[in-house]
Amino acid sequence: MNDCKGNILIVDDEKGLRLGTKRLLEEEGYIVAVAQNGSEGLQYGTTNDFDVAVIDLKMPDIDGMEVLQAIKQSHPNTVCFIATAFASYDTAIQATRIGAFGYIPKPFSPEELTYQIELGIKQRKLILDAQRLEQEREKNLLELANEKSRLNAIIKSINEGVIVINTNGALAYYNYSAIKLLGLSSLNIGENALSILPEQINEIVNKIFHSDKIMLKSFSTELSLNRQNEIFLEAACTPIPNPDGSLAGVVIILSNITEYKRIEIIKNQFVSMVAHELKTPIAAVQGFLNIIKDDSLNLSEEKKKDYLQRSSQRLKSLTDLVNDLLDISRLELKTKQKEIIDVNLCDIINSTLQMLELEIAKKELTIEKNEIEIIPLIKADFNEITRVVSNVLSNAIKYNKPNGKIFIDLNSSQNYVILKIKDTGIGMKDSERQKLFSEFYRAKNENTRGISGTGLGLSIVKRIVDSYYGIIEVDSEYGVGTTFTIKLPINPN
Amino acid sequence: MITDKIKKILLVDDDIDLLEQNKTLLESRGFQVITAENSEDGYKLFQKELPDAAIIDLIMEQMDSGFILCYKIKKTEHGNKIPVFMLTSATYETGFKFSTSSKEEKEWIKCDGVINKPVVIEDLLAKLENFNYQ
Repeated sequence: MNDCKGNILIVDDEKGLRLGTKRLLEEEGYIVAVAQNGSEGLQYGTTNDFDVAVIDLKMPDIDGMEVLQAIKQSHPNTVCFIATAFASYDTAIQATRIGAFGYIPKPFSPEELTYQIELGIKQRKLILDAQRLEQEREKNLLELANEKSRLNAIIKSINEGVIVINTNGALAYYNYSAIKLLGLSSLNIGENALSILPEQINEIVNKIFHSDKIMLKSFSTELSLNRQNEIFLEAACTPIPNPDGSLAGVVIILSNITEYKRIEIIKNQFVSMVAHELKTPIAAVQGFLNIIKDDSLNLSEEKKKDYLQRSSQRLKSLTDLVNDLLDISRLELKTKQKEIIDVNLCDIINSTLQMLELEIAKKELTIEKNEIEIIPLIKADFNEITRVVSNVLSNAIKYNKPNGKIFIDLNSSQNYVILKIKDTGIGMKDSERQKLFSEFYRAKNENTRGISGTGLGLSIVKRIVDSYYGIIEVDSEYGVGTTFTIKLPINPN
Repeated sequence: MITDKIKKILLVDDDIDLLEQNKTLLESRGFQVITAENSEDGYKLFQKELPDAAIIDLIMEQMDSGFILCYKIKKTEHGNKIPVFMLTSATYETGFKFSTSSKEEKEWIKCDGVINKPVVIEDLLAKLENFNYQ
């Protein structure tokens, strides 16, 4: 149908008329198929989608009506004409009822025929256009329905609670998260939302309802709901404008911020502890200086010197503390790039022991080492691993008894290098052991008197070991000794 | 004179430097000072010596060791009659939200006042002087 005016089927048992019509219509630019009797017409018409068919009513084998009916059944969009010399009003009505578009009385002039065929072609176009439009409309509706249900599915499945309230306070929309977060058993569209929602949210909603201008801005509030467990919600209320700028309603988004609150509390506690730990040595130094300055106390030169010495010791501890805090901060922020190299744990142990020689000698401790011959190298940051070893070793010295022992055992399994450091020191109670890796925790009892430390060392050790996906374990018996076991992956990746 | 009412003062602090400083300061003003380095020893010493005043560090073995010791002392017949002060570098500014000003706090913080570290002896004496004996 692209370069021709249309596909036409002529069904007629009269040869002359058949061929004449064909020639005429082909001249006009149509493609024409001819059938010489009813059965041939029926076969052509049902197997091809013709634009227009002209069917003779009276044929010797099959009646034109029957051919018309068959064509209409298989190709309802083919525009059919009935042509007959024995026209009657009744046959015309009957043909139309079966689906004929028109009726051409015989004999017809060439003008009459082409005129009718043109009408038929127009009709065919209309039918096809209508059909195309209908298909498009159905497709659009389907897409719209899909879009709506997709949007619905998204809103229903998100973790945030969504509630929409009309300006009269009626609930217009909600999702299941909203019910869950508010701890309600149900919500119903149309019910008075303001009587159900927490007071803090109502206040904001009312503020939006009663403001003169629509402000296209969200108002947020935090609220805590006490159920089995206290949960904290953030409710963000945003006005919804109509196209004309008036207020249509308010959308409330509820988010569960319990976890953030918990972290905030921990963070605040940590900051408080840090402030306290920083202030204490400063107070001690300040106190010593006040006393040294005070002539009325008549301190001996020796005492003054002692106090200055102790002040300087406190300042050194303070510096250690600040450095430890910076290390923790770096480990937390992961800003420090690890310089990963092949690290020999055996070398680190030896150099650390050398560094701590003085302390070991002071307490007259005996060191016993047990290493396998070839210890696998680990991929790690040299300084971090040194920090781990020196911290655990210096604890084994600090908390040891005079003339005590330290056993160092270095071994390896398939995936780990395993370092055990065992001391014969004061040991820990179970309650002390459990808090060992917490920041600023230091076991305090009659045995730990005079042992200094920042309370951050093991917390840093744990963070470092964790950062390599390693394992650190503590075993301790009060009054007998403590064993630290550190397992570092040979290849952390 | 304050030394008429108060002769013996108990100091409890796990920081041996601060303990010695405060001992030095109080002794220079004519007080007899007894010291303990943890709350358990502090309570034993209190029961044994029955001091005329007590100054207790807040954060010792536990965050609230000082509070608990103070509470225990104040519950005794003798403790209820004497001034007991908390000593701390933990303040509102460092995020420790407590004072002894509100009624609710008075309910369970039984001390008679809070003294900041390092101790300024004149302030401490003024606080002892102002203590309202019943």
